[in-house]
Amino acid sequence: MSDLDAYRTKAAAWLESMVPTYGKEARKGLSVEEDLAIARQYQRAKFDAGYAGINWPTEYGGQGLGHLEKVTFDGEEMKHGFPSFYFGISLGMPIPVLMQFGSDKEFVKERVLKALKGEEIWCQLFSEPSGGSDLAGLRTKAEADGNGWRINGQKIWTSWAQYSDYGVIVVRTDPNVPKHKGLTYFWVDMKAPGVTVRPIKLVGGDSHVNEVFFDDVKISDDHRMSPVGGGFAVAIATLMIERYVATDSAGFGPHLDLFVDLAKDTELNGKPAIEDGRIRQQIARNYAMRSGLQSITARAMAMMQAGMVPGPEGSLNKLVAVRSRQKLSELAIDLQGSGGFAYDDHASQKENWTSSWINAPTGRIAGGSDETLLNTIAEKILGLPQDHRPDKGVPFNQIPA
Amino acid sequence: MSILYDEGQQAIATESRRVLEARVNKDELLPLLEVTGKYHDGFWNTAKEQGWTALALPEAYGGLDLGLVELGLIAHQAGRSLSGAPFLTGSFGAAKAIELYGSDEQKAKYLPGLASGETIGAVAFASGSNALPTLPSVTLTDNRLDGTSTGVAGGLAADIAVVYANGPGMPVLVVADLTNVARNAIDSFDNSRLYADLGFAGTPAETLVVGGAARDAALHVLALQAVITAHEQTGGAEAMMEIARDYAVTRRAFGQVIGAFQSIKHRIAELYGFVELARANCIHAASREGQADFVTAAAAARISATEAYDSASRDCVQIHGGMGVTWELGLHLHTRRARSLAIEQGNLLFWEDVLVDRLTGEAA
Repeated sequence: MSDLDAYRTKAAAWLESMVPTYGKEARKGLSVEEDLAIARQYQRAKFDAGYAGINWPTEYGGQGLGHLEKVTFDGEEMKHGFPSFYFGISLGMPIPVLMQFGSDKEFVKERVLKALKGEEIWCQLFSEPSGGSDLAGLRTKAEADGNGWRINGQKIWTSWAQYSDYGVIVVRTDPNVPKHKGLTYFWVDMKAPGVTVRPIKLVGGDSHVNEVFFDDVKISDDHRMSPVGGGFAVAIATLMIERYVATDSAGFGPHLDLFVDLAKDTELNGKPAIEDGRIRQQIARNYAMRSGLQSITARAMAMMQAGMVPGPEGSLNKLVAVRSRQKLSELAIDLQGSGGFAYDDHASQKENWTSSWINAPTGRIAGGSDETLLNTIAEKILGLPQDHRPDKGVPFNQIPA
Repeated sequence: MSILYDEGQQAIATESRRVLEARVNKDELLPLLEVTGKYHDGFWNTAKEQGWTALALPEAYGGLDLGLVELGLIAHQAGRSLSGAPFLTGSFGAAKAIELYGSDEQKAKYLPGLASGETIGAVAFASGSNALPTLPSVTLTDNRLDGTSTGVAGGLAADIAVVYANGPGMPVLVVADLTNVARNAIDSFDNSRLYADLGFAGTPAETLVVGGAARDAALHVLALQAVITAHEQTGGAEAMMEIARDYAVTRRAFGQVIGAFQSIKHRIAELYGFVELARANCIHAASREGQADFVTAAAAARISATEAYDSASRDCVQIHGGMGVTWELGLHLHTRRARSLAIEQGNLLFWEDVLVDRLTGEAA
């Protein structure tokens, strides 16, 4: 047995032991607040067992292991419906960025440990009503104020902001230069005076995203994580981390095995649907697509482990996976015919086709819309021309509205 | 086996690409379409000279003892340059069938010639729409074959063929000498693949495997060939994507290069997705040779590579507009090859069923 197989076996056994307390059955019927409380306990248990910060440096409380161990654990963890998603953003982007760019090492270490234990949650304040796909078009501003800064403006689509203790934020510090050059990256205390969080109810009925308003929120200059005017580079570094954090070949929807089970259990024209060529074709093509993505991710992890830089093909993950999840979910509902109407807004989108389907459009927009991702692939990888860009080289405050 | 190519493997890819780009051009390939029975002998001579025919065969029989990963890298380049003679897969498949299931005498008799490229092998499993028929149309009686194998790739030039036959009453995998076999040339849309119906009439054949094991063996050989073909398809798809890209950044319309239009740039970006998924599945499948999930991985590679090559050749021609469909540009060489490779080694429908059978643990 390879070391990695041994690691997998041990992790799987530990995860199995957590199922009675934290698995999907144990979580049924809980309110979000009760669920989050359980989730914090689960995160703490992971930390105590050595499964938090698997591939993070030991000096920050991580395990100092490789990316392969991390994906191995994640793959096993995904099988049980544990409430790990509350910490997905926090531990996915803001905390790694804090480790890389935070200036006060003692403060950073304390935050990282608390986040790893599930005691604190971080959010990522990027999108704005006027700047979603156009990240550099954001308008929330920070103006110099004594030794620090004063933030005013509005962010939107901020996941878990209502439960967050801190956030990382990109704001405009200079409107007189072209838009990419006038941005600065800070961290901000979400409990500070002037911060207002308002949850947004999404199509599936849940409210994990929020509008966040900043009214004269004062921060000191040691909150700054980039040079003044150098925030865009750190924002891009954050998004690059996200590219590999946010990988799930199922597109954050149900595992293909669930579709196979459904097709075996459903009758179509008097025969099991699994015998129907249309159904078989979809299973086969989805499998081929998902196995391709898994191989891309595995290769990327192996490259990082070997100290190499992964290829750009990782940018395909969300684009390909979420689109196909949307279609497969439609087919799964179709397949159930008049039995397909039921909807439970508490059902997990990883286990329930209807929930997966109704939330899929969110997935095709969040973290870069399909169109933005296609543009990125076309322009950055294939060298095709940029779209017409009237904002290019123009000072932000002179861009035609 | 690692899923990252090591330095030696990368060198194989670079060198085979260099050699093929220097020796193959479309002006040699286009005339092959207009006659029946000619293949690109420049490619085959190169393959022999470079040792590609010996690459994945055992050292004891004149091979180089490398594997699917290395041969796949060469197939990828052959697909890019469109040169690949059908023997790259057929001779390899025949040799692997003999290596895996033959006696020592059979290996000694056939493998050195197949490794050097002096013997050309073919694989004849299909019967019309069935890639692996339940009841093969060729029958074996007293070590002699009778009946017809349809659409055998490389069939016009092969010296020997590994044939899936009816025993009778049970399937058998045999190796047949094609010296006196009737070869009915198929005038094809991709003539350089040398498709032929092979008419067996009392043709001497040596048995490799008998009974239920013969079907498993045939599927395994088909899977080995499918992985090589999938690499070739991915290479072709990659070439089409790059040709489309290069055209889109030079051709101008409405005052700008056409690659600036999202209808064009997104189409090419989508092709990138097809190509990279196919490549990833190919690398994975090649690395799973000898593992329990090899056929599953081969099927996934084959499905995604077929989708990639068809999509890329279709869209590349579309992006070129009228020029795309001319003999002058020769893009149709890829259009043709995309379809011929889609049928060789079992079509998409076949591999989809194989894959779903494996995933569900039962056949439809």
